[in-house]
Amino acid sequence: MSRSEDYGYAVARIRAMEPMLLDSGAIQRLLEADDTAGALKVLGETCYAKSLAEKGAQERYDAALEAELLSTVMELRAFVPDKGLVDLFRIQYDFHNVKVLLKSSILAKRGGKKRWELMTGLGTVPTDSLVVSVESEDYNLLPYGLSSLIPAALALWEQTRDIVEVEKLLDSGLFAAMLKEAEGFDEPGVLKWVKARIDSENFRNLLRLKRFGVGAQKAASFLHAGGTVSVDALVQLLPEPFESWGRALSHFDVGGVISGVQDDGDFDRQIVALEKALDDYCRDVVSLARYSQNAPENVLAYLWGKEMEIKNIRTVLVSKGASAGRDETRRMLRNGY
Amino acid sequence: MEDIIATMAGQLGPALVVLGAALAVGFSGSGSAWGIGIANEAAAGILTEDPNKFIYALILLALPGTQGIYGFLTALLAINKIGLLSTAVPITIWQGLGIFGACLPIAIVGFYSAIWQGKSSAASIIMISKRPDQMGKAVILPAMCETYAVLGLLMSIFLLNGIKVG
Repeated sequence: MSRSEDYGYAVARIRAMEPMLLDSGAIQRLLEADDTAGALKVLGETCYAKSLAEKGAQERYDAALEAELLSTVMELRAFVPDKGLVDLFRIQYDFHNVKVLLKSSILAKRGGKKRWELMTGLGTVPTDSLVVSVESEDYNLLPYGLSSLIPAALALWEQTRDIVEVEKLLDSGLFAAMLKEAEGFDEPGVLKWVKARIDSENFRNLLRLKRFGVGAQKAASFLHAGGTVSVDALVQLLPEPFESWGRALSHFDVGGVISGVQDDGDFDRQIVALEKALDDYCRDVVSLARYSQNAPENVLAYLWGKEMEIKNIRTVLVSKGASAGRDETRRMLRNGY
Repeated sequence: MEDIIATMAGQLGPALVVLGAALAVGFSGSGSAWGIGIANEAAAGILTEDPNKFIYALILLALPGTQGIYGFLTALLAINKIGLLSTAVPITIWQGLGIFGACLPIAIVGFYSAIWQGKSSAASIIMISKRPDQMGKAVILPAMCETYAVLGLLMSIFLLNGIKVG
């Protein structure tokens, strides 16, 4: 692994790339557009112009946004000393692709259509190789424990016929792989970011499980080990009212995040607020690195910032398509980089 | 035997001066090269994205280079004091040891201050990548490290002037 001293060039280049990220003014102009076409026109005047032009039709803005993120990922990977740090960010897309492939193969067996177009090129394993591996049932060369996870997921499907169980298994594998990779960097900030990601996923799941009145034992199977808050502690929160979660977790960083989310009785609004707060929490965990000129966490901070920016753009564009209110849309937007 | 010892004693003084001068140039020069290298990484990073910032980056990455010049100046003063550049002046071991000691402040302070100034310059280069309008502040921040290099240089000069030879 590279030492932090090797990051002088990479961090400086990331700083020089920062002005290309959309500022709050650009997001505001997107929000103020009358419709999707207007918002895309505004987007066409930013660094997204190239991706939008390459992907052509306006309806394909989703592909353009993915292309833009992929371009950023590959650009960073070209100059970051530890390629694994960028790959740590990309593991989630490998698991997304595996989920798409497994669901497609299940659908195909039932006479449905394979949905390979839902796969993304953002993963570390090329989509073609992944398809060949799954189709030929030759998983040996797949990284991040996928070589054993995919057969296990298929066996679980055969036993349970429950796709939720398969997703749970793959999600656990994803966070275990991210944790393992992060531990290999010997950088506390990187590990903290992965733990924040696990915490975020756990709290998202916990709030949903609480809404559906799921029991503690079943709820535990939806939660992932490795976060700053243990699965046992999370399960104990389940019977408690949401307002008290922040107090119970006051000695954890994530406790402050939970406390900041209002419970006004509207679950949809609450889950949106919680997801936004948790995404901002993941950003804040690595944001301190921005004061350092050679902290590797800057790579994760930039990638996360870019992903959140694209999430914001997608939110605005979808809300324009659905004619949602501007205030409602603004509430869903993540804080900028 | 006594003649040999006397000859050795006569040569040890100038040898100590040469060693002191070598340390002054060697350490402060190495520190400057190290510091500029650190600042260079940051400069290369921002120039990849924005080549228009070359002048800003050049000014900032040159800052850690001054320590090497201070060391060179001190070394010149030291060897000139014993006439190595013109007519040799005979000195005792104790005078040689004194000049050797006088070279140490800039050798040590120059080495460390140049490295830290390089890190500070790198941070300032990163700063101007986003805020080129803050160039003045960006120069002042690493220049704070320069204060101590200047103090080291002044002390070396005062000490050299304080040693009477010839």
